[in-house]
Amino acid sequence: MVDVFLSCDSASRAAGSRQLEAVLRREQARRSDFGLTLTGSRGAFFMEPMLEVGTTAGRVAYGNVAVADVPFLLSAGMLEGKPIAPFYLGDPEQIPFLKGQTRVTFARCGRIACDSPLAYEKDGGLAGLRAALQRAPQDVIDEVQRSQLRGRGGAAFPTGVKWQTVAACAADQKYIVANGDEGDPGTYADRMLMEGDPFAVLEGMAIAAWAVGASQGFVYIRAEYPRAAAAMRTAAEKARQAGWLGRDILSSGFGFDVEVRQGGGTYVCGEETALLESLEGKRGIVRAKPPYPATCGLFGKPTIVNNITTLATIPAIIGRGGDWYASMGTGRSRGAMALQLAGALATPGLVEVPFGITLRQVIQEYGGGARPGRKLIAVQAGGPLGDLLGEDRWDIPIDFDAFAAAGGMLGHGGIVAYDDQTDIAALAYRLMEFCAHESCGKCAPCRMGAQRSAEILASMRLGNGMLDDEQALDDVAFAMRGASLCALGGMAPTPVLSAMKLFPEAFRPPTR
Amino acid sequence: MQTPADITLTIDRLAYSAAANSTIMDVAHRHGLDIAGLCSSPQLSPYGSCRLCMVQVEGQRSLAAACTMLVRDGMVVTTRSPEIDRIRRTLLELYLSQAEAGGDLARLAARYGVRADRFRSARHMVPSATPDESSPYFRFDPSRCILCARCVRACDQVQGQLALQLHGRGFHSSVRAGNGTFAGSACVTCGACVLECPTDALLEKSRLDGAPITSSVKTTCGYCGVGCQFIVEKSNGRIVRMRPDAESPVNAGHACVKGRFAFEYVGSPDRLTRPLIREGPRGRGGFRAAPWEEAIALIARRFGELLKQRGPDAIACISSSRGTNEENYLLQKFARACVGNNHIDNCARVCHSSTVAGMQEVFGSGAATNSLTDIEQARLLMLVGCNPTEAHPVTGARIRRAVRAGTRLIVIDPRRIELAQYADLHLQLRPGTNVAVLNGLAHIIIAEGLANAEFIAARTENYDTFRHIIAAYTPQRVASISGVSADLLRRAARLYAGSAASMCCHGLGVTEHRTGSYGVMALANLAILTGHVGRPGTGINPLRGQNNVQGSCDMGALPSSLCGYQKLEDRAACERFERAWGRPLPRQPGWKIPEMYEAAIAGKLAAMWIVGYDVAQSDPNSTHVRRALESLDFLVVSDLFLGETAHLADVVLPAASSLEKDGTFTNGERRIQRIRTAVPAPGEARADWQVICDVATAMGYPMRYGHPSEIMDEIAALAPMMAGVSYARLEGNGLQWPVPDRAHPGTSLMHAERFPRGRARFAAVEYIPPGAEPDAQYPFVLTTGRVLEHYNTGTMTRRTGLVQIIDRDFLEVHPADAAEHGLRDGDVACVQSCRASARLTVRLSKRVARGNLFTSFHFPDAGVNELFSSSSDILTRCPEYKVLAVSLKRAS
Repeated sequence: MVDVFLSCDSASRAAGSRQLEAVLRREQARRSDFGLTLTGSRGAFFMEPMLEVGTTAGRVAYGNVAVADVPFLLSAGMLEGKPIAPFYLGDPEQIPFLKGQTRVTFARCGRIACDSPLAYEKDGGLAGLRAALQRAPQDVIDEVQRSQLRGRGGAAFPTGVKWQTVAACAADQKYIVANGDEGDPGTYADRMLMEGDPFAVLEGMAIAAWAVGASQGFVYIRAEYPRAAAAMRTAAEKARQAGWLGRDILSSGFGFDVEVRQGGGTYVCGEETALLESLEGKRGIVRAKPPYPATCGLFGKPTIVNNITTLATIPAIIGRGGDWYASMGTGRSRGAMALQLAGALATPGLVEVPFGITLRQVIQEYGGGARPGRKLIAVQAGGPLGDLLGEDRWDIPIDFDAFAAAGGMLGHGGIVAYDDQTDIAALAYRLMEFCAHESCGKCAPCRMGAQRSAEILASMRLGNGMLDDEQALDDVAFAMRGASLCALGGMAPTPVLSAMKLFPEAFRPPTR
Repeated sequence: MQTPADITLTIDRLAYSAAANSTIMDVAHRHGLDIAGLCSSPQLSPYGSCRLCMVQVEGQRSLAAACTMLVRDGMVVTTRSPEIDRIRRTLLELYLSQAEAGGDLARLAARYGVRADRFRSARHMVPSATPDESSPYFRFDPSRCILCARCVRACDQVQGQLALQLHGRGFHSSVRAGNGTFAGSACVTCGACVLECPTDALLEKSRLDGAPITSSVKTTCGYCGVGCQFIVEKSNGRIVRMRPDAESPVNAGHACVKGRFAFEYVGSPDRLTRPLIREGPRGRGGFRAAPWEEAIALIARRFGELLKQRGPDAIACISSSRGTNEENYLLQKFARACVGNNHIDNCARVCHSSTVAGMQEVFGSGAATNSLTDIEQARLLMLVGCNPTEAHPVTGARIRRAVRAGTRLIVIDPRRIELAQYADLHLQLRPGTNVAVLNGLAHIIIAEGLANAEFIAARTENYDTFRHIIAAYTPQRVASISGVSADLLRRAARLYAGSAASMCCHGLGVTEHRTGSYGVMALANLAILTGHVGRPGTGINPLRGQNNVQGSCDMGALPSSLCGYQKLEDRAACERFERAWGRPLPRQPGWKIPEMYEAAIAGKLAAMWIVGYDVAQSDPNSTHVRRALESLDFLVVSDLFLGETAHLADVVLPAASSLEKDGTFTNGERRIQRIRTAVPAPGEARADWQVICDVATAMGYPMRYGHPSEIMDEIAALAPMMAGVSYARLEGNGLQWPVPDRAHPGTSLMHAERFPRGRARFAAVEYIPPGAEPDAQYPFVLTTGRVLEHYNTGTMTRRTGLVQIIDRDFLEVHPADAAEHGLRDGDVACVQSCRASARLTVRLSKRVARGNLFTSFHFPDAGVNELFSSSSDILTRCPEYKVLAVSLKRAS
């Protein structure tokens, strides 16, 4: 019987795979000559919904399939992998968008059944955990150090250093926390992994637990990701049943378990200390650092807080070696980076490429540039707090440090493009309003500065600005940047100020 | 770990040394450097929200908040720069755009020359705010709130109440008490939040007029025996705030609702302001105001006549645990030297007399073995028959803080007191079965080999007799007596014996029983059985109910011991007193208070002088007490108000309150602390010590002291345990006795090397059932105790705003019992004992076990004390207030 693969990723479902699944199930009941396997997404969202068929010659993909197309495709020989126009894409891994990528963390995403530990293991899963359990914890940490992996949550802190710190702490209890509070608008890498390859996240957590001596893990998932939470819960339960989570992992005698928790719907809980407060059952507000979570984290215990993507990268690093991972990349940014293209691009989607290619290459070669008839004017990288990069800065390489040197940030890898139809003043207002709305309210500059700045930007946008508005915005920005407790307040003025610099005409005060 | 000397840092080019783990702000605070800041407080853990204290740390890319940044050796800090000032000005401007300027915010804004113009126009939102006036003592005005959360954190970290919370998010956050108002929340009005508020959003109603504080004086709280230190702040002669002293080891900047707020009784219009002399029949007749000279002369004449007619036993004196040490000393001196008998007792008789007797039996000393700060050092706390969060609130908060920080807790109490919810184990025993339970714990400790054999061998005696008695207290038998399961008993015994430092605190739930003294002994036995005494974080620590229970006993206001617990049998001591006082000392022990009543009724006692103790209201079996007083030929009462006892007096003398005189109180940890005159006494009211001097002098025994310090000098000369005490040495945080000489620093930990009696003696005490057990006619057991908001007979607290919170005594009834008796919450119930009945408002509560009832006794009109018999402790005659068989029905 032929296998049909369909993405059940939330983005794919939004694009239509939900309805497609219903139709396929109906057809399946009628014809019973194919099986349906739900997978994650390969991240080429501009081609979703996408169907794949497991033919004897390998996987064959059909893109942009609508519900009404299914009977036709079936009758036209889709199950035999026939090249049916205009849907036929051939071997999905040879699709230009995907072919040029270097899939490490996202290698399995879209390829395997997302809820099957067997499929996971068959596709190379668990090799990392098995290898780790054969080695001393310090060896494992050394391997991560060698990989030069830096955290993908936004701060790009060296993962191995964090692990080493936690490992060095003497404590009766340590925790591994997977940060799945992916709140940056336009980002979705963590969600894709949790929905499409959840076992990789768990495997990464188990390796981390072995390395630092933790016995309990938590996956903290934002409230807006109900399917990711369900997928992680299912995966944790199946992993437990399969014997690689729980009291005795893979008969090694080592015990580690994972609990999945959901947030309450606030952006700032993606900040690690606010996340820990929330996980402790408290109001999600930022803690003053130091102490850092590595020494004083969840319930005051040494805690690794790693991003989902970071953790899902660990199994490959342990399985294939830190040196192999570090052989990719540039400067101090080694390995591959999952960039999430969004906004006014022709072909948005997830792009995992080694560090080093330029931003322009990413938005042109992968993102396909502007949509027809439009012109890109700016790119915002690193989430809603990231600098707006005008075209003069598109030649910087994908590299944490190069972005920082250029005054921007790569962050979690969100890349949102804006074209010439964008209302820049409205965008600036909206970004600041986002910060005001999401501010936890603990520290004064963020709580009040974002509110007052948003109020000023709102009136500027309507042409009701006042002569000293720019000075006021600048003063508030100075205080927010210099004094905020976390990056939300500290960086919120960045895109606004850069928008004002890039597009001064959009912010002209009234001439009265 | 770096020692303090290791860390040196530079702040604004000056070098400072600092302790490890301190923040830059800590160092600044300690050295009086004023770094701008609104959200940090020495009382609270670092938070870092106002961001005004941003400073530059050399070598660091970004600015750091001084209040959260830990110091490092060699750190170089700059607190002012154009960048820092720019940030501070902007932040202050933002604050002023959201909140009305008040308190420190107004001061900082003025210092930085900031106004709010830019963000105050119509396009800018100002959160709506309605003041919360629901507390009797403070108001919360959200329009002044800057969301620093000091109030929320104080409620959490200082009081542990968690009544306050931050609600909402970001700009729309707000401080909320419970789900709305302070009065409707779990707030216990401790005032920690008010003290912390930097902007006067939370402000005492007494300070709403903004009058500046013009003077202040430090004193000791006049309520319970914790002995909190306060700075009394006045504005033009009026007390506007009682600020808890942050430097005091006793309360460390904290206070409770009574100490902090309930001082209005001082200015109550019905204070006694002139001496009163009765006209007409006792009890019904009126009084006329009289000059002091006339009142003193009358007392001296009548006392003299009665002594002449009826002999030296004709007069008895009752002193007060509310009065100062000096006054207690003088009244017992008056009794012994001027009157010539030992008929002197004080109100400790009805509370902790059993403690003194019990602990003296085992240790040779009747006072707390350890100190309040030991609560932080204990690894396990065992609370027996006390309810600290209500009766000793500042100690209660301290215990809760310790428990929340990881100290284990065992609660032994018939009631599920508030701290029981934090406890590892709650042994909810039947009232009156303390001795059985404590002996049962000893049994398990011995049976399971958990006793400290080394300690027993080296420092105790009588162990074999004890062990013989204890053998009968098997878990099964104790379970059947007490209702506490054998399993729970075992777990408690293991926990107590097994911890590195176990500390007991007990209260009147141990002492006010027929076997009160035995209960104390049984408790002390556990300490010496396990060696949990004589070390930090251990011992037996009675929580004293009144401000000077400790001191009134220390001063010898007792019928059988002299000042400093010197015995009448001790010839050398007696001779020392005789030399100092110039009179022969009566060697025959005097009457205890209940014996005084019996003597009065029997016609043996003709006159009494009762100072600061409303016996007709607070002693059990009030009818009997009243009869005794009515039998007297002459009764003198000194008090603040015309209470029940005063109504029966021939002469009533107006007394100064603790805020109106100088002297000392000794708290429950033996700490002698100063009280100081904060306001003048009303009218002609005078301090008791002055009055005692006048009466004695008028009776031909001259007593002349210019100031209480001179009385203390005399005490120091006569009581070896206080030989090193003087007023000069009491400045600061007072002294804990024993203070055997002028160079001695005082004793925070007793019995470290030896016990006063040499070896501690195991007391082989047996369980004896309580005086009144429930039966078919009286099926319920009533116990009594304090509530947070009131104090004893309520004489003081009923004259304060606290009646807005609690205006009557409630009867706690288990819902199932209530249902069986057709009682609903709020109904008035009639509680009947074999002696009398009382009417009380029902409050359904699972804090009491089925078959038990609980009530407070702060509103005498309810008649709770009428219910009780004269049943009392076998040894000390401490009344059995904690067990009474009663019936329950709905009041008609």
